[in-house]
Amino acid sequence: MGANKIAIIGIGEVPTRTMPERSRWDIIYDTCMEAVRDSGLSKNDIGAVISTSPQAQPQLTAELAFGKLPEELGLENCRDTCVVNAGGAGTSNCLRLAEQYIASGVADAVLVHHVTVHSTIPIPDLIAFFAKAGVDLQWEYPFGSTYNIIMGLMANRYMHETGCTPLQMASVVTALRSWASRDPHSIFYGKAVPSPEKVLESSLLNTPLHKRESNILADGGCAMVVVSTERAKKMGKPAAYKLGESVRYFSATPMMRDMEKMVYGLRDTAKEAIAQAGITSADVDIWNVYLAYPLAHPIMAEALEIAPFGQGGQYFLEGRMSFGGDIPWSTIGDAPGRGHTGSGVSAAVYVETARQLMGRAGERQVPDCAYVYQNTSGGSGFNNIATIWGRDPK
Amino acid sequence: MTTQNAQAEQFDMTRPLPIVQPWSEAFWAGAREGKLLLQHCKECSATIFYPRKFCPECWSADIEWRQASGKATVYTFSTAYDMVEPRFWADLPYTIAYVDLAEGPRMMTRIVDCAPEDIKIGMEVEVVFHKLDDKFYLPFFRPAAK
Repeated sequence: MGANKIAIIGIGEVPTRTMPERSRWDIIYDTCMEAVRDSGLSKNDIGAVISTSPQAQPQLTAELAFGKLPEELGLENCRDTCVVNAGGAGTSNCLRLAEQYIASGVADAVLVHHVTVHSTIPIPDLIAFFAKAGVDLQWEYPFGSTYNIIMGLMANRYMHETGCTPLQMASVVTALRSWASRDPHSIFYGKAVPSPEKVLESSLLNTPLHKRESNILADGGCAMVVVSTERAKKMGKPAAYKLGESVRYFSATPMMRDMEKMVYGLRDTAKEAIAQAGITSADVDIWNVYLAYPLAHPIMAEALEIAPFGQGGQYFLEGRMSFGGDIPWSTIGDAPGRGHTGSGVSAAVYVETARQLMGRAGERQVPDCAYVYQNTSGGSGFNNIATIWGRDPK
Repeated sequence: MTTQNAQAEQFDMTRPLPIVQPWSEAFWAGAREGKLLLQHCKECSATIFYPRKFCPECWSADIEWRQASGKATVYTFSTAYDMVEPRFWADLPYTIAYVDLAEGPRMMTRIVDCAPEDIKIGMEVEVVFHKLDDKFYLPFFRPAAK
């Protein structure tokens, strides 16, 4: 696995909202400039720019891939730029590439960013994109499958095997929204947190998924400045140090996914990343889980061995993963709490990991936060990348 | 203009057809004849679905087609009531399932000829082909005859 010799030293983010009045480049300017200023570096210290590929926005993807950002922001000493696409796992790969740039001498400081504006994409185009992304066009799509249905298939099987109830499942939304309601960057900031009963009152989209268990597409963007561990230590400012990483590939086509293999993969990647960081599971202060749908969270809680088998849903129902609970979990509320910005949710989770380790998470700040587990996953769940980040270097 | 006409103009309401690779043509030819075909690797005896150019187990090109029994068991399912693509609206509600074929592989399908509330995990089902057009017949499954 990677040497993990990088640290995030600056972050920038715009609130996740529906904001068709803001162009994508408007958001790029604000997030990137905020991250560079936050890092304490100047624009000409940035040696490379890596963009998390914006999904369903081909014009922007082409502009970024063909090098427009360093020119637009006047990054005079930028040596290279590119776009990385692994869906929701894209930002993890941006950070890996940043590490390689730094290790190989391409750059001392790398700007990693993401932007998505869903609200100006024509509805038919959005529907067409998300209907086909992450499913097989020969063996799945013609039957009428959707992302929601794929999650429903997984959830129904999990509930069958464990006895997890609809109320327990619905309580995941309550937990995620309890964090989101306290996050100024969330689309649900300041909004009432629905009870599990209220979640179940919303209309059924497909069994067992209710409307409030689904996602709201939104607009947003964020950026991070990454440097070497050594440089971050010398700078002496609050930072998030990458300490461990592990990954497993499952399958691109949802029907080919072996659920047992997936659960073992979630478990083993966490164990390996934690071991690489030189800590134990008990040292982890936040489980910053990114899964896009609430229905997968009980599975993850069990795979991470936080909840016993079959008890993941009950842990959420008891409020243990909610704001104020004893297991800080997905402190931006994952995509259901933050608003879904395509591949941008995982970027936002990284920014939150850094924010918590820098001690700047406001009302959501987990006291004395020293270690954060964070995962990302791409497509409809083709892989899982587990990472451990620390307040201090090893 | 009626609401339906407006929707038809805004969205692609045509039925999506499978995007076929050369090595899966035989599967769809079999489906046209009411046969559920699976690939069999003559080198390592793997039963292969979905169809591949080479055996994914051993990379052998020595692959033949064999007719499956058409019997399967429901591994999981989800019945859709809303939020599907407009081109599938007319089908609502419908049930998507993963079924485990008697021969081993798992496939995505629809469960038909059965009320959604009667569909259960572990239920025994059998293949029935649903015509999309003259070229494509999708393998759906219905409760197995007793």
